[in-house]
Amino acid sequence: MSKNNVMIRVQNVVKHFGALKALDNVSLDVYDGEKLVIIGPSGSGKSTLLRALNRLETVDSGRIFVDGAQINDQQTDINKVREEIGMVFQSFNLFPHKTVLENVNLAQMVVRKRSRREATEISRALLKKVFISEKEDQYPSKLSGGQQQRVAIARALAMKPKVMLFDEPTSALDPETIGEVLDVMKNLALDGMTMIVVTHEMGFAREVADRVIFMDCGAILEEGPPEHFFTNPSQERTRLFLNQIL
Amino acid sequence: MAQVTDSKSPKTVIAVTDGSAIPTRRDLGLFTAWRVSFVGALLIVIALVGFKPDPYWEILKFLPDGIVVTFQVTVMSILLALVIGLFTGLGRLSNNKIINGIASVYVEVVRGIPLLVQLFYIYFALGRIVNVPPLTSAVVAMAVCYGAYMGEIFRAGIESIHKGQREAARSLGMTSVQTMRYVILPQAFKTILPPIGNEFVALLKDSSLVSILAVSDLLRRGREFAAQSFTYFETYTMVALMYLIITLFLSKLISIMEERIGVEK
Repeated sequence: MSKNNVMIRVQNVVKHFGALKALDNVSLDVYDGEKLVIIGPSGSGKSTLLRALNRLETVDSGRIFVDGAQINDQQTDINKVREEIGMVFQSFNLFPHKTVLENVNLAQMVVRKRSRREATEISRALLKKVFISEKEDQYPSKLSGGQQQRVAIARALAMKPKVMLFDEPTSALDPETIGEVLDVMKNLALDGMTMIVVTHEMGFAREVADRVIFMDCGAILEEGPPEHFFTNPSQERTRLFLNQIL
Repeated sequence: MAQVTDSKSPKTVIAVTDGSAIPTRRDLGLFTAWRVSFVGALLIVIALVGFKPDPYWEILKFLPDGIVVTFQVTVMSILLALVIGLFTGLGRLSNNKIINGIASVYVEVVRGIPLLVQLFYIYFALGRIVNVPPLTSAVVAMAVCYGAYMGEIFRAGIESIHKGQREAARSLGMTSVQTMRYVILPQAFKTILPPIGNEFVALLKDSSLVSILAVSDLLRRGREFAAQSFTYFETYTMVALMYLIITLFLSKLISIMEERIGVEK
């Protein structure tokens, strides 16, 4: 794993929601192949930061680069950049009018212009990888939350992205299905995917993360490797937060 | 069956397995308002024609040409209105101030002018530039009017789709047009279909207004017959019954269609 190439660079990003400062001068570098976990209380700006990385959220000032392309520049073809950034949502957001296979196929055919045969081949391989091959003809409403989320991961992976963003991927799941989604994410980490994960799953952070970031009030308060982070945080605020959730 | 019997009032006891206490539409049996109206209208037509063939049988023979024209006007208008409505709805949702402005003004203006006035206006306005047959200007006028209402239906349907759907599609690199076409509209369609069905029935009724533009629709045919035979009361009775039977039939068709779609979900 090379730690030299910067995959994502965030420079002095500020974002307001009305009077509320959602991101307060945030700067951050994420390296190729790195697994970054962002934690923090709700409303701390972690989801906003993640969503700003593929311009689902616009920012007021500062600069964001993904793989060299400036995300928050009107000149940038955002659709081209988004092809390289996979995103997994808290609420899965599968397309309910399409079967599992069609969900994974759609963007491949529409955006990547792959033929149906080629797309289906890729989709089947990915559905196998997330352990849900047997459901390919089902509609999302027939699947459990964990199954839906695994399909959503396969759908994002089908675009062959360079980065995967996870926005609280297990927060809407029943406890017994969280594990199956985390397992898929761990496998993905082993494959060397660059991953940024907003989560409350501290076990996952401890096991998978190269680096953990703690955000509060729109700013990065503390960062470090998980062993340091969970055992000996330097900030009082971090310690309080960890005490609450652990 | 968990039959709980009370010796004093055995009939009022409801067993748990007997189903919902709220009567469904099925429970009303034969006497729904729809059945009473539809069967009633049919029986009256049959009775009138049977007992008094002159003039009722003559009227009934005279009207079908008009029914065909009424359907022509309705179907052509609704198709054109759907196209106008789609673009109006999209325009109303657009972030582009100019496009949004044009769509909004169109909706406001059209909704503020009575359909009859619009019919006259478009007929004579078009007539100044090109010589169009009355049927064409009738269809254009109806479509322009209903396109505005349709636009609001499309807008509401598109807005009813959760924003996560748009975000998921966009995050996969789809353009806004692709997102609309492959993700939003197919889903919005289910929400949109029932109100469009209602608009179809409403348009069919309003299409009677085109009779003033010398389009021989159902109402116009009736007027022609009445003027020749001086049987105004009898003719308009038949005309009203024809409209009633057609709209009741269509409403039923639409509600069956809605139920089918509901089941598929």
